[in-house]
Amino acid sequence: MAASISGYTFSSVCFHSANSNSDHEGFLLGEVRQEETVSISDTQISTAELLQVVEIHNHDPCAQLFSFYDYAGKVNEDNLNRILKDRRKSVIGWYRFRRNTQQQMSFREQIIHKQLTQLLGVPDLVFLLFSFISTANSSTHALEYVLFRPNRRYNQRITLTIPNLGNTSQQEYKVSSVPNTSLNYAKVIKEHGAEFFDKDGVMKDIRTIFQVYSALQDKVQAVCGEVEQSERVKEKIQEDVNKLKQQIALRKRKTAEEERRLREAQNAESHPTSEENSEPSETSLLSRVAFHAPSAPERPGTSPNPPSYSDLLSQEDSLLSSSSSPTSAALLPRPQAVGSPGHPTPGPLGMGLDRQAAGQEDDDDDDDDDDDDDEDSSEYENLVSEAAHLPMVSASVLAQGRPAALSPDGDARGSQTS
Amino acid sequence: MNNMSPEVALHRISPELRPLLCSVVRNGRVGLDSTNCLRVTDLKTGCTSLTPGPCCDRFKLHIPYAGETLKWDIIFNARYPELPPDFIFGEDAEFLPEPSELPHLVQWDAGDPECLLQLVKELIQQYHQYQCQRLRESSRLLFEYDSLLEDPNYGRNMEIYAGRKNSWVGDRIVLVCPSFISIMSSLSQDTALDPGEDVALLSVSFEDAEATQVFPKLYLSPSIEHALGGSSALHIPAFPSGGCLIDYVPQVCQLLTNKVQYVIQGYHKRREYIAAFLSHFGMGVVEYDAEGFTKLTLLLMWKDFCFLVHVDLPLYFPRDQPTLTFQSVYHFTNSGQLYSQVQKSYPYSPRWDGNEMAKRAKAYFKSFIPQFQEGAFANGKL
Repeated sequence: MAASISGYTFSSVCFHSANSNSDHEGFLLGEVRQEETVSISDTQISTAELLQVVEIHNHDPCAQLFSFYDYAGKVNEDNLNRILKDRRKSVIGWYRFRRNTQQQMSFREQIIHKQLTQLLGVPDLVFLLFSFISTANSSTHALEYVLFRPNRRYNQRITLTIPNLGNTSQQEYKVSSVPNTSLNYAKVIKEHGAEFFDKDGVMKDIRTIFQVYSALQDKVQAVCGEVEQSERVKEKIQEDVNKLKQQIALRKRKTAEEERRLREAQNAESHPTSEENSEPSETSLLSRVAFHAPSAPERPGTSPNPPSYSDLLSQEDSLLSSSSSPTSAALLPRPQAVGSPGHPTPGPLGMGLDRQAAGQEDDDDDDDDDDDDDEDSSEYENLVSEAAHLPMVSASVLAQGRPAALSPDGDARGSQTS
Repeated sequence: MNNMSPEVALHRISPELRPLLCSVVRNGRVGLDSTNCLRVTDLKTGCTSLTPGPCCDRFKLHIPYAGETLKWDIIFNARYPELPPDFIFGEDAEFLPEPSELPHLVQWDAGDPECLLQLVKELIQQYHQYQCQRLRESSRLLFEYDSLLEDPNYGRNMEIYAGRKNSWVGDRIVLVCPSFISIMSSLSQDTALDPGEDVALLSVSFEDAEATQVFPKLYLSPSIEHALGGSSALHIPAFPSGGCLIDYVPQVCQLLTNKVQYVIQGYHKRREYIAAFLSHFGMGVVEYDAEGFTKLTLLLMWKDFCFLVHVDLPLYFPRDQPTLTFQSVYHFTNSGQLYSQVQKSYPYSPRWDGNEMAKRAKAYFKSFIPQFQEGAFANGKL
């Protein structure tokens, strides 16, 4: 059980007591409430603590001793009602002040307490004992107070806290839940309250702030939508870019192959050298070309099958001729993921190329330049830096590889293996 | 603050409350032990410290009870002296008397000086009953108490103290030895002893519930103790293990009675002795103890030789022989005292009556004096 008394009530009681020239007594008004604290921690299941809190809001001093009881300590209920009037139901205890005595309930106090408990119907009626001790030469005076709950057998003394009495630099200023019973205060608030409160009793400022907040929330939601859409468009475009890149790479390879063939043919005529000079990439390129061979007889447009390789090659040539220096870099084969077969399927490329054929290649390329994300730009840089090592590039570039999952058409490439 | 004399307390207390405290302090006898008065300490005031004195209105009252001292706080209000006091019962926090049993509280009359004293007496009664209630927890002592209660000799005059569980104080019964008191009253007629102030209390402490550690103690008022020959002379028998108080107490009382009887007899015997000497030696008696009859001085002459004889009668006369001290009136010793000789053994028998003793003493003087005279002349100087 915890008990607290507001600072002004405490000082008021002390004032009344200290100014009386004899013992002094009165009633304590307030409320008792139950506080349940549920604590949850990782190590244990939640525990609920039930605490009874006694709050003393006010006090009602008696004008004289023996005002509601007689010499035998018998409480007179009529006198009690006369003193308490309508405050009777908020009585939670009573207090007594006596100078230079022990901090113990006296004989009469105990008798009165028992009767008050019954009459007022408060099972845990508290008793606050003030004791004023002065030293013999009146140099030091001490006001001691103890809160008892005599109806219990054990733990009869409760600590009484006075909120905000102490070192406030280290503690927060506590607001107590004491209800304001002042009539004047209620009147003023009623008069001027309309300026601050709306009809529901909520402060107007709060409502306006809430409205601002809602508006901001809506805006944020809208922006979210826009962002989502733009992200999707970007995704799409990124896909297209990747496809285009693949096509470019393919075309480059083809032209490179052509040139090599021509060279070889020329070399074969002039120098009957061995094939040691042939690049391993050539063989791989050749193998790649051979791989594509089965699809060669198909023609675009006549069937849903992807277009023939020759058609692709021709389209690449047209692309290559129109593009400038960046495409020279684009001639370099596109790096592939480690473990992938290292070539794009004709399907997606075909689709992409079809779209590109509509005449948006340049835009796309420009967009590609702009919309390149980091991976693509790195790939692009690789392509640019290795422009000089044209024959060698495919192997080294191949070796670098790219993670398949990160690019938009990673899935597409992943599916190439299957 | 402590050991305050009653007069100091009366001086410091508020004038309106003074009569009440006066009767408590001066005449206050509560309980069996009437030699110990009620004591007042720790006088404090309930008024503001600026109030001019004397204005004390609260104090601690020390009440002897059953071998313990109860320290109760009594709280008045000097500004309202007509109001009855409040009490704090010290360590007996559970003692809560019923107000209806305290008529002097219910009809408190501040004008009656005895009111406070009467109220305290009523509270003591209630306290006694409270202790008896507490005895219910210890069946052994309860049995003892109940058995004693039935005996009309002791029933009315007992104080019970049921000890505390956590302290070393065990249960205790204190009771008055009633037959003893009746003997004392007869003694008082012969002597100047005032029976009102004398008391003989038997205190029996039970340290444990099985009554294996029982400590009986006899408390006598100082004059009785002196009359009986000091505390060393009076030994009460130990409490027999397995015995009960109802058997033991009469035993002790009987012992005391016997002792007192003996003392009284001795008193009578001494008186007889002195009377006999007075009649035999008549004019030779210088002085004698007319109260206790313990001393007698004679001035005798034998062949122009004057000498003094001091007779000291011991406590257990006639069992013990009186001491005769012969003193020369002429001779001094080196230390400036009169030359004297002490005679402890001379023909004597406790069965002689006073007359016979006087005659025999006379005969002895006659036989001894020549010796003494020679000794005086030889060893003393004029």
